[in-house]
Amino acid sequence: MSILEATRLVKRFGPVTAVNDVSLTVGEGEVVALLGPNGAGKSTTLHMVLGLITPDSGSIVLFGQELARHRVEVLSRINFAASYVDLPGALRVHEVLDAFARMYAVRRPRERVAELVELFELGPLAKRKVMTLSSGQRTRVQLAKALLNRPRLLVLDEPTANLDPDAGDRIRGLLSALARQDGSAMLITSHNMREVERMCDRICFMSHGLIVASGSAKELAGHYGAEDLEEVFLKVARG
Amino acid sequence: MTAATPPSAPQALTLPPLSLAARRMRIMGVVRRDFAALRRSPMRMFEVLFWPTVELLLWGFVTLFLQTQRVPFVVTFLLGAVLLWQVLQKASNEISIAFLEDIWSRNLLNVQVCPLSSVEYLLGLVLFSLGKVAFAVAVMAGLAFALYGFGVTGLGVGLVPFVGLLLVLGWSLGLVGIAAVLRFGENAQVIAWSLVFVVQPLAGIFYPISVLPAPLRTVAWFLPASHVFEGMRTVMAGGAVPWDRMAWAAALNAVYLAATLALFAGALRYARRHGRLSRFGD
Repeated sequence: MSILEATRLVKRFGPVTAVNDVSLTVGEGEVVALLGPNGAGKSTTLHMVLGLITPDSGSIVLFGQELARHRVEVLSRINFAASYVDLPGALRVHEVLDAFARMYAVRRPRERVAELVELFELGPLAKRKVMTLSSGQRTRVQLAKALLNRPRLLVLDEPTANLDPDAGDRIRGLLSALARQDGSAMLITSHNMREVERMCDRICFMSHGLIVASGSAKELAGHYGAEDLEEVFLKVARG
Repeated sequence: MTAATPPSAPQALTLPPLSLAARRMRIMGVVRRDFAALRRSPMRMFEVLFWPTVELLLWGFVTLFLQTQRVPFVVTFLLGAVLLWQVLQKASNEISIAFLEDIWSRNLLNVQVCPLSSVEYLLGLVLFSLGKVAFAVAVMAGLAFALYGFGVTGLGVGLVPFVGLLLVLGWSLGLVGIAAVLRFGENAQVIAWSLVFVVQPLAGIFYPISVLPAPLRTVAWFLPASHVFEGMRTVMAGGAVPWDRMAWAAALNAVYLAATLALFAGALRYARRHGRLSRFGD
């Protein structure tokens, strides 16, 4: 069963066509990456899937329900983290997580927050204000927030951009384990090719608002006669 | 990071999203978040009380001076006006600030991808602003009594409609400010701050509407606040609460609130259509 079915999405901002006739599906438990150079339309596509941007045409169906008509039901089963989004800096870590747990109507918010604090090893940070955390620590809080409602679809826009290689590696391992365990699907953008190769079942390359190629890392490398995904990226980005 | 072993069953983790319990929980999530932010920020707490206190002291000393000049009723008029003006101003500004803080902290996207409906989000902001207004006005009322012997309860039963009508008008103005930011971007923050001050000279807060030039008088009668402040002066002069004025103000409030909700919904649709939500805080 498809978790996400985005069909023929088009988004224009004035004269610029950011997304041009993009169709995309994500199956249950599937981890899909959107790759492409800056300005390819990846974030715009993600934001349309999240309901932050209304497409000019096309449809977005999540869990069999149209996003535009069933916003609250659909969003209660999704979550999101991005490197360019922050959390209220004045709040302590446990307060932020508690507030968002309630905004996602989690039944026992304190217990769920405690689980995630343990999972992301946030215990020593729980009483610190978000503004005092390093960017890597904030990313961990963001990802804990993103798992509060145990989303069926996790949308991650460059999730490990602010992490050092060690923390990034551990987060990737954790997210992959969670995806396997809960059957959560993920839709990810990243500029880290190794991250994508390691985590993703399928990769969609975007360029100039279009999906120009899609398949597994191996399939794409074979198709483009490339050694690895990074070489594929360079070939796609440079036309 | 530790191994992933979430213990609770997935189907039981969240409440049914459209249930009343889920809606109540989401609204309280907004309130708790804003309350925690206020509690953790001494500067914000200071700001809640600083300007109202300065204004109270300023007008308090003006009235003391006017008393020495034997101007009748001035003390009660001006101090009552300052207190009620704070209800209007704070109701308007607090709701705008709560929204703007999501932009300033680059948290707006997190909130917008929550399963919060617009009504739930706004109700959360309104409930929190109600708490802040009540706190600030209670402190000011205590100061007015301690420093100038002015008891706000002197307004009697009229206090309830006066405060209620001003709160609703303040929230409507705050919503217009939020809608302006959604529609025109962060540069429109100045509208969110200053819109309530457009009302100030027209609403006859510190003087009767009769002193305004005729064309402005006509405009003033279409402001719910004008009826409230006229009503306040009537009560303080020993008259009864002018319920006909209160009814007219309530009707105007209902129209303005409906219009501003429609304006907010339209601005949010515009922001989503033009990708503005994604660009806030860039």
